[in-house]
Amino acid sequence: MNENNVPMIEVKNLSKSFGVVEAVNGVSLQVFPKQVLVIIGPSGSGKSTLLRTMNWLERPTEGEVLVDGVPLSENQYRINTIRSDIGMVFQNFNLYGHLTVTENITLALRIVKKMKKEDAKKIALQQLMKVGIADKADYYPSELSGGQQQRVAIARALAMEPKVMLFDEPTSALDPEMIKEVLDVMQLLVKEGMTMVIVTHEMGFAKAAADEVIFMDLGKIVERAAPEVFFEHPACDRTKQFLSQILTH
Amino acid sequence: MAVNDRLATQKNKNGLQSIDDMQLTKKDFPWWMVTIGLVILITFLMIQINPDFKDAFNIIRAGLGVTISTTIIAYCIATLVGLLVGLGRVSESIVWRNISTIYVEIIRGVPLLVLIFFIALVLIPGFITLLNIIGDFFMDAGISGIGEKLTAIEIRSVPNNVRAIISLAVTYGAFSAEIFRAGIQSINKGQMEAARSQGMSHWQAMRCVILPQAIRNVLPALGNDLISMLKDSSLVSILAVRDITQIARLYAGHSFKFAQAYSILCVLYLTLTLILSLIMKLIERKLGNERK
Ligand SMILES: Nc1ncnc2c1ncn2[C@@H]1O[C@H](COP(=O)(O)OP(=O)(O)O)[C@@H](O)[C@H]1O
Ligand SMILES: [Mg+2]
Repeated sequence: MNENNVPMIEVKNLSKSFGVVEAVNGVSLQVFPKQVLVIIGPSGSGKSTLLRTMNWLERPTEGEVLVDGVPLSENQYRINTIRSDIGMVFQNFNLYGHLTVTENITLALRIVKKMKKEDAKKIALQQLMKVGIADKADYYPSELSGGQQQRVAIARALAMEPKVMLFDEPTSALDPEMIKEVLDVMQLLVKEGMTMVIVTHEMGFAKAAADEVIFMDLGKIVERAAPEVFFEHPACDRTKQFLSQILTH
Repeated sequence: MAVNDRLATQKNKNGLQSIDDMQLTKKDFPWWMVTIGLVILITFLMIQINPDFKDAFNIIRAGLGVTISTTIIAYCIATLVGLLVGLGRVSESIVWRNISTIYVEIIRGVPLLVLIFFIALVLIPGFITLLNIIGDFFMDAGISGIGEKLTAIEIRSVPNNVRAIISLAVTYGAFSAEIFRAGIQSINKGQMEAARSQGMSHWQAMRCVILPQAIRNVLPALGNDLISMLKDSSLVSILAVRDITQIARLYAGHSFKFAQAYSILCVLYLTLTLILSLIMKLIERKLGNERK
C-alpha cells in the first residue's frame, strides 16, 4: 500500500439516515489503488448503505465520498460519467431480464460509452471468456443458474473497465455449490490488482483476498485490521461474538 | 418455461391480466367460443334470408368505418398519452408526478359519458377560445401572421368526430397511464439501480431497461383496453357521430325495427371484439414463444 497515492475511494465522516434509522453513522475509510477492502457485519449494520454511497446510489446525509480524488457531492452533474468508472455487483445479480447475456454487457458500452456494436460485442466476448461462460453468450439470464448469472453480472461490470469494483454480498443469494465459481472469478480479479470493496460473509475468501477487513455494527466501524490479525486476534468482544456465530453456523 | 412462469407471476402480482390468464378457469374445450360463433353465424344467415335484417344490416354497416377509425385513432393517442403520463407518475420530478396524478384522478372520478360531454362541449370550445385570445394578443403585439390564424379558428370548425376522438383519447389516456405505471413499478428496483450504476441516465435506464420489460408485462392489459375502447366508442353516438350505434339508433327510431337494428348492432360489436381478442392472443403467444 502506498500512502502517497490518492485513495481510490475515500469516505469522510459519512452518515446516512432513513428517517429515524441511522443506517451509517460517522464512518471514515480509505481504499487505495489495488487494495481489497472487505466489510463484514451483521444484517442491518449498514454495510449495503455504506457501499451504495460510494457510487451515489445512496446520498449521504452528512460527510463526503471521494472517488479517485473527486468529491461526489460537488460533481453530481457528471455523476453518470463517474459511475461508469465504478463497477457494482449486486446480491440479486440484477441482470437485464429482456436482454441476452451479450446484450446485457454491450448495452452500457453502447449507450454510455457510445461504442460501436461490433467493438462492444468483442469486449463482451472477452469478458465472458474471462468469467468462463462464453458458451452462454446468447442465453437469457433466466436460463442460467445463479452462479452463472452472477458471473455475467461481474463480466458486465468489468466490461466498462472500472477503476474500482463494489460487491454487495455477491454470493449470498447463491446455492452453496455455486459460491465457489463466483469467488474464483473474484479471486482472479484480486490477482490482477483490481481495487475492490467487498461486503461478504465468506470468511475464507476474506482471509485470502483482503488487505484490510472492517467490521461494522449499528452503522459504525467497530474494528478494522489486516485479515490475519482480524481473524486470529480480534480486539473487540462484539467482533469475537460475531465471528464465533458466523464460523460455527 | 421459466420466462413465461415469471411473466405470469409478475402479471398476477399486479392484477393486470385478463380473466382467462388467471387460470381460475380450467383449460377446456372453448364451448363458449363455439356458441358465440353460432350466434354470429345465425345472425348473418338471417341477414341473407330475411329482407328486414338485410335492410338494417346494409344501413348500419355504413358506420363500421367510423367506429373502427375512431377507436384506432383514439387508442393510438391514448396509448401515447398514457405512456407519457405513466412516466410522469413515476417521474423524479414532483411537478410531473403531481400533474400526472391530478389528470388520472380526475378522469377516474367522472363517468365516461359525462367526460365525453365535458371534453367535447366545454374543454375543446374553451381551448379554442383560449387560442383566439392568444391570437388577439399576437395581433396587438403586431405579429399578425400567427395572430390572424389563431383568431380565425372557430369553435364550429372542430367537427364532432374529432371531438369524439379527443374525448376518448383523453379518457383512455388516464387508463393506460395507470397500466404503464403499474408495469413500470412491477419491474424490480434492482434493474434501475444496475443501469444507473453503469452510468446510464434515468431516462436511458427507463428507455432501454425498464420500459421494454414493463411494456411486455402490460401488453395483455393494453389489449383489454383496446377492446374496452371499441365498446365505449359507442358512447360517441351522443355527439351525433355516425358510428354503428348512432346509425342503428336512427334506423330503429324511424323504422321501429328495434329487434333487427339492435341484434345486428350487438353482433357487430361482438364480432369486432372477438377478432380483437384473437389477435391479442396470437400476439401474446408469439411474444411468449420468442424467448424459448
Ligand atoms: N431505502 C431504505 N429505506 C429505509 N430504511 C433503509 C433503507 N435502506 C436501508 N435501510 C435501513 O438501514 C439499516 C441498514 O441497512 P443496510 O445498509 O441494508 O444493512 P446491511 O447491508 O448491513 O444488512 C437497516 O436498518 C435498514 O432497515
Ligand atoms: Mg446488505
